[in-house]
Amino acid sequence: MKKYIIIGPIVLILIWAVVAKLQLIDKFFLPSPWVTLVELWKLIITGSILPDLFATLERVIISFIIAVILGIPLGLWLGRSEKFYRSLEFVIDFFRSTPATALFPLFLLIFGITDNSKIAVAAFASMLIIIFNTAYGVMQAKKSRVLAARIMGASKHQIFKWILFWESLPQTFIGLRSAISLALVVIIVTEMFIGTNIGLGRKIIDSQITYEIPTMYAVILLTGIIGYLLNLLFSLAERKFLHWSGK
Amino acid sequence: MSTAISAVNLRKNFNNIEVFSDFNFTAEEGKITAIFGPNGSGKSTLLNILSGVTEKDSGEYKIENFNLLQFSYIFQNYRESLLPWRTNFENVALPLEIQHKTKNEIKERVAELQKIFELKINWDGYPYELSGGQQQILAFMRALVTEPKILFIDEPFSALDYENNLFLREHLQKYYLSFKPTIILITHNIEEAVHLADKIVVLSKKPTKIIDVISNSLPYPRTIQSLKIEEFHKIKDKVLTAFQQVTNL
Repeated sequence: MKKYIIIGPIVLILIWAVVAKLQLIDKFFLPSPWVTLVELWKLIITGSILPDLFATLERVIISFIIAVILGIPLGLWLGRSEKFYRSLEFVIDFFRSTPATALFPLFLLIFGITDNSKIAVAAFASMLIIIFNTAYGVMQAKKSRVLAARIMGASKHQIFKWILFWESLPQTFIGLRSAISLALVVIIVTEMFIGTNIGLGRKIIDSQITYEIPTMYAVILLTGIIGYLLNLLFSLAERKFLHWSGK
Repeated sequence: MSTAISAVNLRKNFNNIEVFSDFNFTAEEGKITAIFGPNGSGKSTLLNILSGVTEKDSGEYKIENFNLLQFSYIFQNYRESLLPWRTNFENVALPLEIQHKTKNEIKERVAELQKIFELKINWDGYPYELSGGQQQILAFMRALVTEPKILFIDEPFSALDYENNLFLREHLQKYYLSFKPTIILITHNIEEAVHLADKIVVLSKKPTKIIDVISNSLPYPRTIQSLKIEEFHKIKDKVLTAFQQVTNL
């Protein structure tokens, strides 16, 4: 079945090629896939996109790491006590539902027009997702397993370490995957508008303003590829470490 | 023969439905007591009360010299109680890890059980790779690895095919004869009850009463051959006769 995976992208590129070829949309606004891919290739081998790429990746990774370091322990801790979680549920849900980008001006006030505010807002948004999923994972733990361990004489600490933590992992992983995708989105958006000369978001906006349309498409494509690869990385890690999930 | 487990005037209601009222029960030390009864006769509830999982409403129960570390309870849904992220070996070792035993001691104890149960599996593999029967044997080994003095077993064989069922009965007896724990076994299968138990307690539907207590002095180990002899059938008939009183058949 694996070979079918290629069909979707091919069809999409074909449609794109046909639309471009028939000039259904002005050539200026929609270059052909070939022109775009060549542009992307040039950006990469000349290395001119690399500083932007690395700047964006660095911001995404730093904010993700902060989100993990804060989010997982907080989620585990909240999940242990349903009362705790319920009392904070509204706050978490509220901020989780608030578009993170709407909070950006607030973070600018706190952290200034620096990289810090970009990283902070992305970390904050991804952290909420991680907290929510981790806590849920702990709370959904199978009662029968906890009961079995309790009958064996396990202490609360042992039950947490040997049962609840593991039970939460599949849900935590779902959280991590959504969190890194969101971190990428937020970083790209913040790069577009405020306080940086470097980054993929900046590059997209700049090429749009200067009408370097093929470059714009090429960089958009590149962000898509990064998002996809990050997701793939987590899928692979999940298959390796959570082989037992759902069994 | 001394009483290991007793319940006096036990009373328990669930949502205003009387499960037990003035229920009395005893099990002797080092014996296998089978509890046999129709569905909904409160068999599992009795074990849950005795083990402290469920609260009683009133009455008394006592397990002599009760110590949680020398007590094991094999639940009906064994598949859910095995830990899929632990290897088969680590699953069996879990109760010993809880008791802070050393690595060497754990290895020794698990090896001892491996000898008794003769389970030929990849011990570094995971429970989800095993058949239902092998998973159940694993759950048994995990419960027995602490060498419990008291063992509760709730319908352990119900999900097994007949061959695995007989295999497990044979090996459970092997363990029983070496360690002589006090066992309470819930079952809804007469053959199982008579095959394994010294004493079969037949329960009624709710509110639960003891209809009859049938003793069974067939010598251990009881083999497949034991299932064919006349004495076995006589005891089975007695249990069936008691059971007839509580059903509408």
